[in-house]
Amino acid sequence: MSGDHSDIVKRLSTVSGLLLIVLVVVMLVGISIGSSGSGVTSLWHIITDPDHADPMLLTIIWKLRLPRVLLAALVGAALSLGGLVFQALLRNPLAEPYILGISGGSAIGAILGILLGLSQFPGITLTSFAGSLTTLLLIIGISAGQSILQKNALLLSGVMVNAFCSAVIMFLVSMTHDARLHNIIFWLMGDLSMGSLQHTGILAMALIPCFVIIFWFSNTMNLMLMGKEMALSMGVNIKRATVILLVTTSLMVSACVSQCGLIGLVGLVIPHLFRLMLGSDHRILFPACVLGGGAYMVACDLLARAIPQHGEMPAGVITALIGAPLFIYLLKRSGR
Amino acid sequence: MRYLLILLLIIQGTIVSLPAWAQNVHVTDLLGRRMAIPKDPVRVVSLAPNITEIVYALGQSHRLVGATTYSDYPAEADMLPKVGSYVHLDLERIVFLAPDLCLAIKDGNPIAAISRLESIGIPVYAVDPRDLESVMDTLSRIGRLLQADKQAKQLVQGMRRRIQAVESLVAKTDHRPGLFFQIGISPIVSVGTNTFIHELIVQAGARNLAEGDIPYPRFSKEQVLGMSPDVIIVTSMARKAVFEKIRQDWYQWTNLPAVKNDRIYFKDSGLFDRPSPRLVDALEILVRLIHPEMFKEPS
Repeated sequence: MSGDHSDIVKRLSTVSGLLLIVLVVVMLVGISIGSSGSGVTSLWHIITDPDHADPMLLTIIWKLRLPRVLLAALVGAALSLGGLVFQALLRNPLAEPYILGISGGSAIGAILGILLGLSQFPGITLTSFAGSLTTLLLIIGISAGQSILQKNALLLSGVMVNAFCSAVIMFLVSMTHDARLHNIIFWLMGDLSMGSLQHTGILAMALIPCFVIIFWFSNTMNLMLMGKEMALSMGVNIKRATVILLVTTSLMVSACVSQCGLIGLVGLVIPHLFRLMLGSDHRILFPACVLGGGAYMVACDLLARAIPQHGEMPAGVITALIGAPLFIYLLKRSGR
Repeated sequence: MRYLLILLLIIQGTIVSLPAWAQNVHVTDLLGRRMAIPKDPVRVVSLAPNITEIVYALGQSHRLVGATTYSDYPAEADMLPKVGSYVHLDLERIVFLAPDLCLAIKDGNPIAAISRLESIGIPVYAVDPRDLESVMDTLSRIGRLLQADKQAKQLVQGMRRRIQAVESLVAKTDHRPGLFFQIGISPIVSVGTNTFIHELIVQAGARNLAEGDIPYPRFSKEQVLGMSPDVIIVTSMARKAVFEKIRQDWYQWTNLPAVKNDRIYFKDSGLFDRPSPRLVDALEILVRLIHPEMFKEPS
């Protein structure tokens, strides 16, 4: 048993170390590219010789690009973990906060918060949290008691809840002529451009405790995936673990949505990728999702900034362009 | 919660480090914020097309180093480096241009972007041009900021004179034709009471058939027919071919007073889509369309 333990620690540190390097490299590239130009070499000059660096470039890097890259990494980590947890708890490889409409629900909450004139934190985050919890309960309520069809019932009810949520969002947007909603279209597709260090710091304070809770439960998720009997016999309090994990994940997702809008399908791509590469031990998948998901999101945001010649596109466009075909592929494969 | 706030303040304290501007003046903008700006700003970024127009009108375009997309009037303004659209500003481009003053729109530019710029140490002065009166106020305010008081005064006087000329003309008649002002084609969109176009319509001596609380209300074709407008004015960025199609569309309804009297007009939207000093031009065009009888030579 102790051999198994040290083996895990070894794998955990190898995976974490490698992915940490990937994350740092992607973040450095993310920091060195922006709409005002400049490249990796000028970043190197700034790091090696900060006294003689162009002060404007310093400002751009420290106050605009760095917060944005950090925000992307955090959001990517949180959304990937969200997917990982949903897939384990609902025992459905296609479960993901965006597909299930959880993100849509928290977007409704966030818009209501904006219309009520609440502050970004804690006001809008809380209304957004309420929105995501409501949709979560709704989906579980709809699909419960249909054990044979549960897998599809869950996805279908998620799709419908999602459609309903987007309709409500468009309804709210059409009904109000509020100047505060000017940016809504960008925000709805996932926008990381307004992240300041302050916002990123606040988001980190909300997300990191959630990460710790999920890591705490990673072995429990392993046991739960082995089946109810097995989990019970190993002393897992299934109900408690499920509730804590679902609520934590909803909180995480709604914190991201209220900050950056709807960024979809990250929680599908990343956990699947790592499950293919690393197997299904959640103790390993946890750091992989945090670091790899962060790197993935930073890269997607980088593409969103770099592809258009003028301005930028919402980061959610890129994640959806990558994620949706993958979802279709997985759906087709799981049907066989 | 309190710890969060304290931490927030600490973080903020480390971020905000305003550079010392030489020869500053203190001003209060229309968001009610008091700030220090250079006495003689030489690197100004305009965050909305109508602000760009105003700076040009004041003859201060040499101070501009950047503007938002669609800053296309006067034509040379289109050559300025672009800093994103006014609802989605490209902060990095703005910082890169190293402005010593940004001019923003109170309800147009996102407040989050304004505060980000300020946290970086770039002063942002917000104005609020909404209608003729506030455009004139904006001219005076920006004139003060850019040391163009004299030009501002002249422009405002000229505008007032032309507005008064229209007003005295309109006062000569009690006739107030019903006008449907169409700014959107599909769906049909018009202008409610709380818009600058409504103000122009009323000042030009017409009734705005779409008046009401909703700023930009949508209409079905049936509703428009039901109001039987005497005059229809369509403004759009669309091209001539599209105009022709809309004209054909309305002309099917031969009972419509505007069709019967051949009073459907198409105007380039450039004049009508932003509150700029050119609103006076728009007003003069409107009054000619609404009261052509006043401009006929007495025979």
